Amino acid sequence: MSGATTSLELSVAATACRLRPEQWQRVRIVLVALALFGWVTSAWGWSQDTQQFHASYLVSFLYVATIGLGATLFVAIQHLTTAAWSVTSRRLMESIMITVLAAPALFIPVIRGLDVLYRWAQPGFFDPDDPNVAFKRVFFSPTFYESRMVVYFVVWCVLAWLLYQGSVGQDRHGGSMAAVVKLRRWSGPGVAALFVTVTSAAVDWVMSLEPYWYSTVFGIYVFAGGAVAFVAAIIILALGLRALGYLREWIHVEHYHDWGKWLFALSVFWAYLAYSQYMLMWYANLPEETAWYQVRLNGSWRWVSLTLAAGHFGVPFLGLMARRAKRSLPWLGAIAGWMLLMHWVDLHWLVMPTVHEHGFHLHWLDLSTWLAVGATAALVGWWVMGRHPLVPAGDLRLAESLEHHNE
Amino acid sequence: MTEPLWGIAAVFETPQQLLEAARELRRRGVERLDALSPFPVHGMDRVLGYRVPPLGWVVLVAAVVGASLALALQWWTGAIDYPLHVGGKPLFAWEFSVPVTFELAVLLGAFAAFGGMLWVNRLPQYEHPVLCVDGLARVSTDEFVLVVEASDSQFDENRMTRWLQELGAVRVERIPGRGES
Repeated sequence: MSGATTSLELSVAATACRLRPEQWQRVRIVLVALALFGWVTSAWGWSQDTQQFHASYLVSFLYVATIGLGATLFVAIQHLTTAAWSVTSRRLMESIMITVLAAPALFIPVIRGLDVLYRWAQPGFFDPDDPNVAFKRVFFSPTFYESRMVVYFVVWCVLAWLLYQGSVGQDRHGGSMAAVVKLRRWSGPGVAALFVTVTSAAVDWVMSLEPYWYSTVFGIYVFAGGAVAFVAAIIILALGLRALGYLREWIHVEHYHDWGKWLFALSVFWAYLAYSQYMLMWYANLPEETAWYQVRLNGSWRWVSLTLAAGHFGVPFLGLMARRAKRSLPWLGAIAGWMLLMHWVDLHWLVMPTVHEHGFHLHWLDLSTWLAVGATAALVGWWVMGRHPLVPAGDLRLAESLEHHNE
Repeated sequence: MTEPLWGIAAVFETPQQLLEAARELRRRGVERLDALSPFPVHGMDRVLGYRVPPLGWVVLVAAVVGASLALALQWWTGAIDYPLHVGGKPLFAWEFSVPVTFELAVLLGAFAAFGGMLWVNRLPQYEHPVLCVDGLARVSTDEFVLVVEASDSQFDENRMTRWLQELGAVRVERIPGRGES
């Protein structure tokens, strides 16, 4: 890329920026091995402890799905705002986004465990004579639940596919304003559809684990957590490729600085939602609301709650506040890795108290299901990464993105 | 007898030329330089050798003071000076203190940032020799200006004018000093 001055030369240099086949192959073998190991051990775990398997699997599924959906939201927002700064990292975003295509298949074990996980899925759970639950009785019937899942997955897969094809299409046919405008046109309704479906899915997947509990910001809370984890994931992915010698000139410190700002801002947003939800319930002190927190503030769950507050908010807030911190790649990478761990703690804290009421309990299935789901989704992303250049070579804003500065 | 000279200003047509000229003069040891442009030119801060001002620390201190004041206010008024039980809530708790604490931290932080910005930039400043040169009026629309102050140790009007012209200046303006009046 050094020496490339015209947009054509830049585009040619970008097209040449690909994963080396033998390296791609090696990582693929590792991912296949991890996925196989994960699925085999998870299957054995399922035969031993069905309830633990389904709870662990749900956490792992949520981990992967929320990151993929966070990526989809980010890609759509880049198109919507015609952002130039993020163009050189957009292919990495798109590769994380495309893991959404694996979500429908990965959801099958959750559907199979519906009546194990969700009390409302057990026949006769809601009292038919109780007018307070008349709506929930209809809303939380397995058939209606499954139909909603079909709608969500269709919306997400279509959106991810359109955005991905629109971007790689420019690699092949060259960039054009028409392509830019087309991607922007999909992204507007796409963002609106994402917010409706992802927040509803968060209610269906997680909030309904406690059928009587409700919180109006819950969907956004889960989505915000996914967005934080996505930003952490793209920082780790870019730094990992950088360590292997890729993208060094394409994604430079000015871009990492901006990703650091996003990581900082989104974890503050997450904390704002977490606090709003907690404070309102603490103040109102209504039994049907506080029960959810009572479990999480007693026994060893209390320590998990405190870890979450300090680790998911305090660490990135203090750790990324300074300009120098966001521009130091090792430090930014360390915080990003920490946030990926915190996202898991967050989801574990949301789901597991329904199974382990009396305290935090780590099970080996937490790791094996995470390996199974994570490695499978990573394979999907890695597979498309091997097929296309690592930067959107046809994009008209490549040069503008490379010149991005933070002063 | 020549009139007092405050400095000279070179007018360039593109931000790239401005940046390049500033970089070259800095390389030749010129210290008292300033660049004027209708919009921020990326990289100029570094070329001119601007240090990052300690404003961030000032803002941090102001925000911490704001947060502490807010906490103290809520605790003292609610739990000490006029204790009043409302809805069975404790007289003081962190849960309800967060919004006010946050607001006051942001308020004092913003005051410090705004006041500190004025102080670091030596604003408000109602007059400056550069503002009195008619030939520099277009710097707020489409011209890029590099100012070399006469107080620079390297300053020699003829040599500096030649340097600037060699670097691509379309014209060089003299900036008269304020004189005695």
